[in-house]
Amino acid sequence: MSNWLMAGLLFTPLALATVSLLLGFRQGRALSWLGMLLQLLVSVGLWWLVRHEGGFYYTLAGWDAPLGIELRVDGLVVTFLLLTTLVASGCGIHAGFYLEPDRPWQRYFWPLYWFLWAGLNTVWMGGDLFNLYVGLELITLSAVGLVALGGQAEALRAALRYLLAALLGSLAYLLGVALVYGQFGTLSLADVAGQVRVSEHALLMRPALVLMLVGLALKTALFPLHGWLPPAHGIAKSPVSALLSALVVKASFYIAARVWLEAGVAVASQWMAQLLGVLGAVAIIWGSWLALCQPRLKQVVAYSSVAQIGYLFLLFPLTFGVEASVSLHAQQGITLQVISHALAKAAMFLAAGNLILAVGSNRVEALAGVSHFLPFSLFSFGLAGVSLMGLPPSGGFAAKWMLLQASMASGQWWWIMVLAGGGLLSAAYVFRIYKASFLERDEQDHFYHPDRRLEVAAMLLALASLGVGVSGSQVLSVMAMPFEEVQ
Amino acid sequence: MRSPAARIGMLLLALMLTALLGRSVWQLSMLEPASDLPRQLQDKLAASGVEHPVTAVLLNFRSYDTLLEIAVLVIAAMAGISMARTRSLEDPELRTSDTLLRALLRWLVPLMLLLAGYLLWAGADRPGGAFQAGAMLAATGVLMRLTGLPLDFLRPGILLRIGLVLGFALFLLVGLASAIAGDVFLAYPREFVKGLILSIETLLTLSIGMILLALFVAAPVNDASEPEEGEK
Repeated sequence: MSNWLMAGLLFTPLALATVSLLLGFRQGRALSWLGMLLQLLVSVGLWWLVRHEGGFYYTLAGWDAPLGIELRVDGLVVTFLLLTTLVASGCGIHAGFYLEPDRPWQRYFWPLYWFLWAGLNTVWMGGDLFNLYVGLELITLSAVGLVALGGQAEALRAALRYLLAALLGSLAYLLGVALVYGQFGTLSLADVAGQVRVSEHALLMRPALVLMLVGLALKTALFPLHGWLPPAHGIAKSPVSALLSALVVKASFYIAARVWLEAGVAVASQWMAQLLGVLGAVAIIWGSWLALCQPRLKQVVAYSSVAQIGYLFLLFPLTFGVEASVSLHAQQGITLQVISHALAKAAMFLAAGNLILAVGSNRVEALAGVSHFLPFSLFSFGLAGVSLMGLPPSGGFAAKWMLLQASMASGQWWWIMVLAGGGLLSAAYVFRIYKASFLERDEQDHFYHPDRRLEVAAMLLALASLGVGVSGSQVLSVMAMPFEEVQ
Repeated sequence: MRSPAARIGMLLLALMLTALLGRSVWQLSMLEPASDLPRQLQDKLAASGVEHPVTAVLLNFRSYDTLLEIAVLVIAAMAGISMARTRSLEDPELRTSDTLLRALLRWLVPLMLLLAGYLLWAGADRPGGAFQAGAMLAATGVLMRLTGLPLDFLRPGILLRIGLVLGFALFLLVGLASAIAGDVFLAYPREFVKGLILSIETLLTLSIGMILLALFVAAPVNDASEPEEGEK
């Protein structure tokens, strides 16, 4: 059973990428519907398996770690696999109707899309530091390819900048991995974690951790290393921007969090944790402020991502040197933040794409009058905004509430101000869009009506981000599924 | 990003990281090698189907990494040719009609093809393998292209795309077959291991050569570009 599920998760996206490269856009699209259904079945199947039999290690090619590569499947992994299926399917369905099928370069969309998905699955399950690196590269390269696809000079420039920043980040991470391997002689994260705990002189683990975290922070676009993100996410086609903001930046953060929680906390110091938290806090305020000032709609959403990524980095101070229960609470809060931001931001980018399609301009002031015309997409945008602001009953609220509790329980009251201020600023930039769309302007009356299915995709994701808040405990129960320690 | 303060900040960050790295590498050289991984590798080498440890690691012990790395190469080639102008493939300006180069190529091309074949075969028990052989093939292709020899298969069509994924597809099929046969994903059956690795390597060589060559050919940027969303 587990064999089939793992083959489904690892093999199918790669196979779909290969086959769709040989097809045109329309056939690739038909194939991709099947693939999405299959991914849904497989990830639900894995959820069922882990729930009944517990998590497990899966050794690839039949060689045990450290010689071979092992994958780790636990509740958190299943959570992320389900999230990926949901968000990537939503973006894929949107893309299928949003992109113009007759352009010659669109045939490369589906191969890149499936390679991206394969990379995401690899990273969520990765238990080997080098394999995680390869997974990240797969994600980065396909993301860059998607940004540049059919690119005019501007897109190419943004994609190249993204590529260079991401490669620098990968290189720093890889140097960290090399230091870990040089010291412990293993690449398996579980082995490294075990050795760090028992070894008296794991003196090279700290520099390795710093290198890895800096590299991954660059790839996650943590302030002040966020310069590459808004151009790339702003210029890509809307479904691509949605994929990038919702899932791609989460992959590098996920690796950082995993390394930190399993092997990093033992060797880190308080200043490292606080520094990461402070950078996250500055990102929240600065990113939200810049989002408020952007003249173009998609830039607003892209800077909002910079801000929302800042919340994720509160994980580091809230899990360092605190009681286990507080740390768990913070981890759950961050997981909810990742999930609700992924859903809300995907919905927001898709809705923004629909709005741009309708008014034929990407400027915020061009939205005047669109509230009469496209209320459905505007409503999706607003629902997603509710989650970003952290209003109840959204997933964003549940996440921020848990982070608030963790801050208080660990006595780090200063994060509370950031959490509150960030929420207010996000409200400001969401309402700015609303204000622009409710303005009346006489002369402009020729809107183009986008396909209904585009609007439904955005709406479903926005509703899901609200649903995360309503059913927060069920979502967290997936993460807490038991893991049978085999080793 | 352009402001002097940001530049100095980035410079300081880079310097700090370099210093940290330098110190760590120094400390690392002082450490006793703690790993018994090389010994494990030697123990299992006989079962891997090849005699050279690097090839064994790449194509057997950590074959999943290699599979994904090939995928990365395929992605790079796709991104490259998605931006290529079709016409550029016959661009006469890129040709050199140098008689000396042509005469030299008559000697060089067969030699280089032979060398690529040797590198591929040598991978079994000494340094070599698909990546080196593929790079050699690509270099041959670059030379042929510069002298204006026709390379029709490089036109962005179905042949090119098949060529790009051929090696990857076989690798993937072997992985799937192993999962269906009941073992774990990518575990080769013992009796076929040598033959499987050799056929994967051969097709990979062709594909890697194609990929590198396609990237070389696809360099010019698309003219018929799409405007940004909402800017028409």
